[in-house]
Amino acid sequence: METEPRIVAFLCNWCSYAGADLAGTSRIRYPPNVRPIRVMCSGRVDPAFVIGAFEGGADGVLVSGCHPGDCHYVSGNLKAEKRMKNTARILKLLGLGSERLRLEWVSTSEGTKFAQVVTDFTEELRKMGPSLLKAESEVDAPPDALEVISKALKKTNVQYCLECGKCSGSCPISRVNDAYSPRRTVERFLLGFGGSMLSGADLWTCLTCYTCTERCPSDVRYPEFVRACRRVASEEVMEELCAHRGIPMTLSRIMTHPNIKQERMDWVPAEAEISQKGDLLYFVGCLPYFDVVFEDLTLDLLKIPQSVVRILNRARIKPVVMASEKCCGHDVLWTGDVKNFEKLAKINVGEIEETGASRVVTACPECYRTLKKDYPEVLGKIDFEVLHISELLSELIEKQELKYDAKLLMKIVYQDSCRLGRHMGVYQPPRKVIADIPGVELVEMGRNRENSVCCGVNAWLSCNKYSKAVQIDRLKEAKATGADLLVTACPKCQIHWKCVTSEKLPVNPEEVTMPMRDLSVLVAEAMHLT
Amino acid sequence: MQASLDLAARGFKVYLVEKSPSIGGRMVQLDKTFPTMDCSICIVAPKMIDCLRSPNIRLLTYSEVQEVSGTAGNFTVKILKKPRFVDEERCTGCGVCAQHCPVEVPNEFDMNLGVRKAIYIPLPQAVPLKYTIDMENCLQCGLCQRVCGAEAIDFDQQPETISLNVGAVIVATGFELFDPATRTEYGYGRFRNVLISLEFERMLSASGPIGGHIMRFSDGRIPRRIAFIQCVGSRSLKGGVSFCSSACCMYATKESILIREHEPECEVYIFYNDLKVFGKGFQDFVARAEDEWGVKYVRSLPGEVIEDHKTGDLTLWYEDTTENVTESLGADLVVLCPALIPRASNKELAGILGLELDEYGFFKSKDPQFAPVDTNVSGVLICGYCQGPKDIPESVAQASAAAARAAETLMMASEGAH
Repeated sequence: METEPRIVAFLCNWCSYAGADLAGTSRIRYPPNVRPIRVMCSGRVDPAFVIGAFEGGADGVLVSGCHPGDCHYVSGNLKAEKRMKNTARILKLLGLGSERLRLEWVSTSEGTKFAQVVTDFTEELRKMGPSLLKAESEVDAPPDALEVISKALKKTNVQYCLECGKCSGSCPISRVNDAYSPRRTVERFLLGFGGSMLSGADLWTCLTCYTCTERCPSDVRYPEFVRACRRVASEEVMEELCAHRGIPMTLSRIMTHPNIKQERMDWVPAEAEISQKGDLLYFVGCLPYFDVVFEDLTLDLLKIPQSVVRILNRARIKPVVMASEKCCGHDVLWTGDVKNFEKLAKINVGEIEETGASRVVTACPECYRTLKKDYPEVLGKIDFEVLHISELLSELIEKQELKYDAKLLMKIVYQDSCRLGRHMGVYQPPRKVIADIPGVELVEMGRNRENSVCCGVNAWLSCNKYSKAVQIDRLKEAKATGADLLVTACPKCQIHWKCVTSEKLPVNPEEVTMPMRDLSVLVAEAMHLT
Repeated sequence: MQASLDLAARGFKVYLVEKSPSIGGRMVQLDKTFPTMDCSICIVAPKMIDCLRSPNIRLLTYSEVQEVSGTAGNFTVKILKKPRFVDEERCTGCGVCAQHCPVEVPNEFDMNLGVRKAIYIPLPQAVPLKYTIDMENCLQCGLCQRVCGAEAIDFDQQPETISLNVGAVIVATGFELFDPATRTEYGYGRFRNVLISLEFERMLSASGPIGGHIMRFSDGRIPRRIAFIQCVGSRSLKGGVSFCSSACCMYATKESILIREHEPECEVYIFYNDLKVFGKGFQDFVARAEDEWGVKYVRSLPGEVIEDHKTGDLTLWYEDTTENVTESLGADLVVLCPALIPRASNKELAGILGLELDEYGFFKSKDPQFAPVDTNVSGVLICGYCQGPKDIPESVAQASAAAARAAETLMMASEGAH
């Protein structure tokens, strides 16, 4: 077995690569463990490259660029510094160890320094031992595309399509993107041209928001059909269309690794009471990671789990929170990676069952759907009940085990997220939870409940001008209600909307920007728990 | 009615039991009939009068069948005659009572678009022309009693049970409408300018609540563009019924032509999935609507109707499936064509009569090919929409068929008796 550490080094073209070159031409000896990759600037190194390198079996990653102030592109290296700091946080969360990532400034003239850096890093990595992800990943034969498609055609009722076009007339993307039509996609599959669709963008364009499914008279479950086909569709196209270079999916895949020991509990407030075994388990989801990945959006996403735990404590519930909790697998499932989804489902259900919990509550609609609907589909019946936090809260408020302390004199508009609403039919509990807050007036957008509009992106796919058009249209609708606050129960709605409004807008920002809040955070505020 | 008239003409005694205060059924609610554009009430009213005048037909209106026992040739039928609180013998139908009645309630006959009084006849051509007091809304102020010259008002009238001995039973309970409010994407019940076709039919009707003028209820404006949406709840494997109602493509075409007649400036769009125009003259009718009247047919079921809540204007989002483009269309008025479904009360009636229902709730034929009007109970026959989707001429034809089969049963029974 190989014990020598393998280091992937991203070296900037102008300084560090030349520095490495100097080390070579000067015949300076340093360990042969480093695999240099030349990049134009250290600022080019995406966190995804680093995490991808670890997923691929690297023991350490070295990122090296010009000294601050020397950057060929003025400030690329400063950006790299910020990015690598975040990346190190992610590595820490994953339990891989932030020390396995190093950022060093090496200039053209510093051949000696480069050699020294590599020598030191190699030595340190030797001491740390091999990375937890060392095991070679097994490669399965790809499933037979035709078989997958023909099975999906039957299972999702696509074969009953009447081609009435109600799906396309309902699809938020079809309204802004002339090239896309669920009906035409289905038509092509039914006519036997499905194979050609596998290498196109259409399969990755669907928001899987279920608006078409809700309205289809023939009960065609188009998003599920798309999901099934994604399993055999071109991965290259997917990667090209996936935002954030697919980091969320990479993280999910890494979490399937048996050796992984995450350090994800830093968010738990000092005074909060949580336990390892108990009746009610709080499934946190990816928020500790998203807090890092989407730091720039300043959404303070960790407030969500903190609020949930505080609210539960207030109701005298000491929830189980698992340090070993893995990603629910939602995004890998919806990007067609069934194998890793099944792994995650098995691990999570096993871990949950070990805690003895009979109820699992989640504040994320995606986790909610995945645990409640998709896990039983791959694992058969599961032994615990899955609740969305709004269901639990409305139950606790009903039983008077929770009550609001604050009076919030404001008008609130609520967004039904696709997963909670159309996917799972939870419309009333969040409304009750909001409307019960003293002083609050709950208002509705014209398109609400089953007619609600998606936040524009799902599973990080196809984030483009069309999704932005959908987002702006929806935010306009929310703003036009005259509400003071936009509340959603889905962290991803917030991420996508905050993202679109932080960029240059094609409309007057006044028309689309308004304060947003997660449902749990709002409830915690109304109980003076923040 | 047709079955009663046929049997009466052959000399059989017929009891015509009707749940509502007047006979006539759905057809009296319609303005015109397709594809001949006959005035509906003009052709059905004489039939109603024939039923009233026929010495062989006894009308039992405002009555319901409660119990049926016996076998073919010898059924005992118990009928509950609900109190009208008006003496049918004395009432002359002059209408002075209704003029004085202070209570106004939505008129069911006009699909609740217009109003009637608490003492009312459902329609001006009601048969029998006898007033009925709707006790749920009556204040019992006694004004009607005071003004009634015939002294017909009787607040103490009691329900009456009538027992009849009959040789055969014909069931013709018709249809009811699928509730389009359950398809929330079209906004029925939420948006004032989204109507259903039967409401629109009452609007078009000269005897309707607004005298046949076409207008928007939000602002009274004459619409400049009207869109029909077909198959709301029909041909649906989910959220509706799976069968085709068989009349909507045609009546929407008819209503479209009427719109163009009434308001030539108003554009009409019909959004359809498949045009089911299978009857004699139907295709020509649609071609005429398109070519001569300029009705625009779009092969698409819209995904959604959105209302501008300030103006009440509507926007439809749809994919034109022949042009392959997804686009929107502004409309002043949207008319939904909801599925015509078997009555929910068929279940109860089936229990009383011992009949079988099919998976949709229609009465089941003994044999769909060769005994369509026969049922699993000998001597009990079915006709019209309660047996399966069909239009007026088909219903009438089936009524005659049921009458013929009933006559057979009656003749066999009387032969047996001799």
